Amino acid sequence: MAEYQPPLRDMEFVLFDLLKADETWRSIPQLADTTRDLVRAVLEEGGKVAANELATCNQAGDREGARLADGEVRTATGFKAAFRALADGGWLGVSGRSDVGGQGLPKMLTVALEEMFYGTNTGLYLCGTLTVGAATCISNHGTPDQQALYLPMLYAGRWTGAMALTEAHAGTDLGIMRSRAEPAADGSYRITGTKIFITYGDHDLAENCIHLVLAKLPDAPEGTRGISLFIVPKFMVNADGSLGERNAMSVGSLEHKMGVKGSPTCVMNYEGARGFLVGEPNQGLAAMFTMMNYERLSVGIQGLGTAEAAYQVAARYAAERTQGRGPSGPVNANAAADPIVVHPDVRRMLLTARAYNEGGRAFAALVGRELDLAKYSEDEAQRERAERMVGLLTPVAKACLSDRGFECCVLAQQVFGGHGYIAEWGMEQFVRDVRIAQIYEGTNGVQALDLIGRKVVRDGGATAFEFIDSLRAQGLGDEAFASSVAEALDRLQQVTASIIERADADPALPGAVSTDYLELFALVTYAWLFSHMAAIAPDDEFGGAKKLTAQFFFSRLLPRQTALATSIAAPSSAVMALAADCF
Amino acid sequence: MAEYRAPLRDSQFVLHDVLDAQSHYAALERCERVSREDLDSILDAAAQFSEKELFPCNRAGDEEGCTFDRGAVTTPTGFKAAYAVYRDAGWAGMTGDPQFGGQGLPASIRLLVGEAMSTANMAWTMYPDLSSSAMYALSTHGTREQKQRFLTRLLSGEFTGTMCLTEPQAGSDVGLLTTKATPNADGTYSITGTKIFISAGEHDLVPNILHLVLARLPDAPAGTRGITLFIVPKLHITEDGSLGARNAVTCTGIEEKMGIHGNATCVLNFDGAVGYRVGEEHQGMRCMFTMMNSARLGVGMQGLGIMEVSYQTSLAYAQERLQMRSLTGPKNASGPADPIIVHPDVRRMLLTQKALLEGGRALIYYTALQADISLYRSGDAQIAAEERLSLLTPIVKAFLTETGFECANHSLQIFGGHGFIRETGIEQYVRDARITLLYEGTTQIQALDLLARKVLMTQGKALLALIGEMKALATEASAGLPALASRLDAIADEWAALTMGIGARAAQDADALGAAAVDFLMYSGYAVLTHFWVRMALIAKSSADAETDAFLGGKIATAQFYVDRILPRAEAHRRSAEASAASLMGIDVAAFAHN
Repeated sequence: MAEYQPPLRDMEFVLFDLLKADETWRSIPQLADTTRDLVRAVLEEGGKVAANELATCNQAGDREGARLADGEVRTATGFKAAFRALADGGWLGVSGRSDVGGQGLPKMLTVALEEMFYGTNTGLYLCGTLTVGAATCISNHGTPDQQALYLPMLYAGRWTGAMALTEAHAGTDLGIMRSRAEPAADGSYRITGTKIFITYGDHDLAENCIHLVLAKLPDAPEGTRGISLFIVPKFMVNADGSLGERNAMSVGSLEHKMGVKGSPTCVMNYEGARGFLVGEPNQGLAAMFTMMNYERLSVGIQGLGTAEAAYQVAARYAAERTQGRGPSGPVNANAAADPIVVHPDVRRMLLTARAYNEGGRAFAALVGRELDLAKYSEDEAQRERAERMVGLLTPVAKACLSDRGFECCVLAQQVFGGHGYIAEWGMEQFVRDVRIAQIYEGTNGVQALDLIGRKVVRDGGATAFEFIDSLRAQGLGDEAFASSVAEALDRLQQVTASIIERADADPALPGAVSTDYLELFALVTYAWLFSHMAAIAPDDEFGGAKKLTAQFFFSRLLPRQTALATSIAAPSSAVMALAADCF
Repeated sequence: MAEYRAPLRDSQFVLHDVLDAQSHYAALERCERVSREDLDSILDAAAQFSEKELFPCNRAGDEEGCTFDRGAVTTPTGFKAAYAVYRDAGWAGMTGDPQFGGQGLPASIRLLVGEAMSTANMAWTMYPDLSSSAMYALSTHGTREQKQRFLTRLLSGEFTGTMCLTEPQAGSDVGLLTTKATPNADGTYSITGTKIFISAGEHDLVPNILHLVLARLPDAPAGTRGITLFIVPKLHITEDGSLGARNAVTCTGIEEKMGIHGNATCVLNFDGAVGYRVGEEHQGMRCMFTMMNSARLGVGMQGLGIMEVSYQTSLAYAQERLQMRSLTGPKNASGPADPIIVHPDVRRMLLTQKALLEGGRALIYYTALQADISLYRSGDAQIAAEERLSLLTPIVKAFLTETGFECANHSLQIFGGHGFIRETGIEQYVRDARITLLYEGTTQIQALDLLARKVLMTQGKALLALIGEMKALATEASAGLPALASRLDAIADEWAALTMGIGARAAQDADALGAAAVDFLMYSGYAVLTHFWVRMALIAKSSADAETDAFLGGKIATAQFYVDRILPRAEAHRRSAEASAASLMGIDVAAFAHN
């Protein structure tokens, strides 16, 4: 498979030219040391780890998968070394707290790093994601002792994290879970139950595996208000940080999956395992929710990263593979055929992927900026505003980047024709790997419902309108596209207002149009981003391609907005009228 | 996993109520008569066979896949036994010429019975499908002696066939192929070359395989005009018809693929293998084209089959899986949660599948009957049907496979995380479906065929005839279903205008066709499905049981869903197809690969 090229130029363009990240960071004391030079160096090094360490064992991860032998999980060839490169290079602690071993760098930067790590090896990098997620959770809700004990080891990748939420009957609906936590005399708890879909629940990449487990205390209230969160380490940790006895938990089996086969998906049995309460009793879901925005954005970036990697391979293939002649006559007259990139439709497929990737990259960085402001800003109003934006934009980023990521991987595979279907080219692995991003961390249907229900209808559209107004206030970008952007923003505003208005009389409406609304929201935001990117694109090859990609976006992709708006205009009866026995 | 049940009610609705199949079959000449009872019992038998023999080995086909060992391919558990049942029941010869052992039924029957088989087990069904293509080529272009010697064995199901086109350097561009055919003194040819992606190229279902191979004679013109078709048996056939020595064709490996693991995708090495010319010298592409059209309809049927099986599976799950409460209050108050079908977005995904599936079924059945008319009738009806068939074939192939893949993904999505797990079986449908967008001409190839050859090259003749029928139907429906009728009328006009616009731009800009082709094809698919949905809704509404029959009520509601929620996509495709090619062609080749 062809080599991965970290998209460093575009990342820098997005961070500094488009979003003026350095200005934001300078305004925040805790991030003020983050300079453009530093970021450039970090991205370059991260790109090397991705291309040289992660990419090289990606196919082995798919071929070999993770295996369960004598109750222990063994990862694929090359995974250990690649994970060491991630861990020892400090890549898991980039945005971690600097007082406990992290580097305290902004989320905007880790968004770009994650893209490269996911793009080169999702199966492996998921272990990193889970570790960062567990650290975030402990950092926000753990006691000072828990923080001191676990965070340095997690940031260093000596231990890793796992999230144990799902049970066989409780997926989207966590309120009906059954795992129990009994208080023990020593202040710890005994956790009993079976969890499924536990990513990196066990493995051979690090010394210890720290599970964050949701379970119910005795006499806990019904539903989601009766769930508590516990730290359950695979090996008990002594007060001095050394590892003690093995905890009463085991891997029941590994799932055989469509993709991300390098990542072990475990059925975990907790058999009276010792656990330690995190946060308050019965507040477990709230503790989980605080990191959910990070996790969701991260899964969106998985979609983006994979689509970028797939695009790169397809773009090179299209330049090399000769088949047929160009519509205006031979381009490569000395050879038997022209490279397939002469065919307009091959270009359409490549440009679709290119445009969605570049738009997605800018969007992800935009959400990253809001996360940074929400976390670090010292201006309370700015912090609150950023929190609202994070709440509004995160479900959009998760669903849209993963949906478009899948679409683009499929298009990249299509460029290969029949060869795309053959395992050795690696294109079908991209498609299989990226498919999960539309599902986990809340299916994209759940994201759409979160957006329209909790983030839009609940406050009467105030946050959504605040966002749309802020885009307008920042200008419409390139004059070639400004009127299209203005029209798109107006459309989004009207559609938003109309859904809220119609929902009073038609309560099923928001759910019936939620997926279309989310896509429309993203598309309009991409339009604004592309217009601004085109306006500031430099006069060089990179800038020229950026302007043409923007042109393509406006003429070939943005038209989807009319289809979505028309579809949303239909009453919910279109979806709800059919009786259950008529399906 | 849920069971598969062939959708006989819907098949009969489309055949009898929508398409009046009885009159259709009664009007055909030069083929066996098919009564309504015959048709229903054939479909019923195909359903039984598919449900009982094919569906149960579909998962094994995926999990085990084919195995390759020193030139031999072993098919997965159950495949061989299912083939024996198929062969003994006489399915292979259904539509063949009775002179050579066939049953003489019209061509549509093969496609119709293929639906249930393909739905139940796509990888398995490819083995007999490849035979069908070989039969078609032989019966159209073979000599009497060749038919006697080879076709009879295919029609009896004793042998299977293949189509050997692709080479490593020659995929979509068949003209680049280099396999050589050298004439021998005895009138046979020696075939030498390597073919790839040969489905069913080697397997253990039958003792002998007949390869139809495209190759070049010495001094053949370059490109597609220098290609000749040959038949190359795996084992020689002696004068008395018994099997002889091995011909010089070997399978050197099978591909590891994303899906259809149960079907062997072979690399075949021809090393001076004895071949027999089929048709005239250098006319191989023409011979191939005749069977390619029927093969394309077959792949469209695979797309439909994927929609059916994934819809059935996800529907059953959506009715059983309990998760969260309905936003409008509990619908299953005594249970811990409501079935997920109460959630609007789950219903949207189910209805999207249902609308594309049932609309697609009407489209492909209709097209199958047009194929009959083109073969077994004469005069103006024959000519019109041939034109209609040639217009609809690329739409059927590409639109039903694109939407088939989409539907398989909706189905997986309804399963949430469980959909990603192999055990559930649903991700297999996504992986299997993916090939249908690639083989027998990618979506892009179909789109160019539609726009360039079938529409613009004929000055839109067949398209305008169809548009005229759509407008007539809109008039007919305007009293009973005014809202649907006006949508149909509008899309018919718009389709014509879009075509004119592209045609005008294509005259100025060589890239305009390719730039618009895929959007035009998808647009055409949505437009033509509108026609069939209005037809179905009109028939359902005018039926005496419309109020009481859930099936008919479902048709009317689904038609409404189609125009409200699916048809708007056509608008986006139209706008995209109307955009100038400049935004595609402007970017420099080098810039594609740079970041």
